[in-house]
Amino acid sequence: MTRYMRMPGRVAPDGRSVAAARRHLARRIGCALIVATASVALGLSVHHGLQTTTALLRPRAIRGSVVADRQEECIYHGIRADLPKGAAVYINDQVHIQRLAELSTLWAVPQRRRATARWTIALVPDSPHGPGSHLRWRCYGLALEVRRT
Amino acid sequence: MTELLVVIAGLGAPGFLLALAVAGASPVLVFLAPLIGAGLAAVAAVLELGVGGSLLAWYVAVAVIANVAVVALWLARVRFPAPADPPWEWSILTLAVVLVALIIPLRALRAELIGWDANSIWLTHALMVSGGHHALVSGLKNPVYLFSNPDYPPLVPAAGGLAFALFGRGDLHIAPGTTVLLNACALGVVGAGIAALGSGRRQLTRLGAIAAGGAICLVGFAVAGQFGVNGYTDLLWAAAAVGAVIWGLVLPRGTQALVIAWICAAVATLTKNEGLTTGLALLVLIALRYRPLTLSWVRRLRRRSEGRRFPDVAAWPVAREWAERAGFVVVPALPGLVWAGLIHRLGISDRFFESPSSETLVLRAHATIDGMAAQLAVAPVAAAVLVAGCCLLRRDRERARFGNPAWLWLACLASLLTIFATYVFGGYEIYGWLTYSVNRTTIFAQLLLYAELAIWLVIALDTAFADDRVQQRNATPSAVSAAGGPRS
Repeated sequence: MTRYMRMPGRVAPDGRSVAAARRHLARRIGCALIVATASVALGLSVHHGLQTTTALLRPRAIRGSVVADRQEECIYHGIRADLPKGAAVYINDQVHIQRLAELSTLWAVPQRRRATARWTIALVPDSPHGPGSHLRWRCYGLALEVRRT
Repeated sequence: MTELLVVIAGLGAPGFLLALAVAGASPVLVFLAPLIGAGLAAVAAVLELGVGGSLLAWYVAVAVIANVAVVALWLARVRFPAPADPPWEWSILTLAVVLVALIIPLRALRAELIGWDANSIWLTHALMVSGGHHALVSGLKNPVYLFSNPDYPPLVPAAGGLAFALFGRGDLHIAPGTTVLLNACALGVVGAGIAALGSGRRQLTRLGAIAAGGAICLVGFAVAGQFGVNGYTDLLWAAAAVGAVIWGLVLPRGTQALVIAWICAAVATLTKNEGLTTGLALLVLIALRYRPLTLSWVRRLRRRSEGRRFPDVAAWPVAREWAERAGFVVVPALPGLVWAGLIHRLGISDRFFESPSSETLVLRAHATIDGMAAQLAVAPVAAAVLVAGCCLLRRDRERARFGNPAWLWLACLASLLTIFATYVFGGYEIYGWLTYSVNRTTIFAQLLLYAELAIWLVIALDTAFADDRVQQRNATPSAVSAAGGPRS
């Protein structure tokens, strides 16, 4: 094959000119390269995705997310149980301010200043002899502290 | 999981007739219907904010009006000139492959993950939206909730709000879970679009296109990582925007493809602020593809103004062309733009630009380029395939009536430039900001580049199989004669 490709004017066995055969070969190689490159890139990404899914489904990862999740739900229900609906609250907890504001949504109305609030809420550590040990809503390591101002 | 499927069915039911009218009995219908339903929910949230009332009441009203309009158009025999529906066996195969590809990463829903933003932004907004006009306005204006980016568009909160309306607010998982299924639907539209590249071609090309469609769904979740399954919305706007590119800028021009692209772009504009800017850029590109700019109107205007006394007569067709282009952009983006306007009227502004940064622009630009480049490892590969494809397969791409690859790369660049400018001119400390967000803000560009690879893969497969056929046809007579057989 290489022999007739090098000789101009010769005709390949399939009846096409050498130039056309070259073009054809180049196209085939190009197509093969494109298919191979695209397949490898897509395949690697798919593999990475499958690994991510597997990692997310490991029992340890699930346990971690379940705890975080139950903690969140516990605080959410605690706010609704310990505060009257529409209560003006001051979040006295700079660490968990976002979390408490978000879980208060549609029940309590977070205030920017303590002066305009009737209640304060905070999350405190729930250790056996810690500040949260006597509180009603103890949520997986954190306890919800609700006070009247 | 059953509850989530009920929510998706609840979103898909009002969108079904519209999706059927647009897409016909093609596989994309299954994924488009819930996205349309979510879009209707977003429109309901816009009305809730702007007019008053509750989400559910507006959702019912909007869904009824939209469906009555479709039925009226149907009775009036107004039909989209859609291409013939693909053979049912190919449709079922496409649907099955795309669904399986989506179900694999969706198994992670079992872990019931809720990410930080899913809580602090999307769940908070979903609760506000589900509480009615007063709760929504007072919540968005409350300075304590500034952390939740109150200016963000309403599609995801509205879908979550509807989920709460259906199942109550006892289980907070239902809202982020709905977002994850919407992510999957948007990717399904992309996968069905890639599979549609092979329609009407050789069987092997079709199979390749369907496999590539399934692969791109898996790639979407891979690129997003855990942000695809923990209630973040970055994958939703990115996949919807990629869907708009595939249907509006790549697949052959047609009313069906155009309307699907508009729906995808509208979903992107209603999902996140970067989705709004990218969606607007995509709509401009789609308008320019369907109503190309020509220099003839300049010449015509000049000729008329020189030869006639009333040049404004000549200006009329020009004005109409520009009005059409503007309509192509404004109509699909209208709900997103109205939301942005209402938010502006409420005095809520984007926090990113609230306070000026103490860092220099050069430093921020340098850090941003580094951060974005690290996420775009696929770009050199996509560029190499683009060059090879343009050199070898340009004619094949043109013959298939696929859009010029320049459209896709322009869309990618437009999005990256917008995000780059946000980082450079924004007020947050740049390194921290990039660390927690650049892997999400570049999902659109990454997914688009993978889609570009899938497109060239399908074209190359088709060309290779075509060449095989030609070679076999050419080779058969000589082979037969060499074997001493009869000549045909």
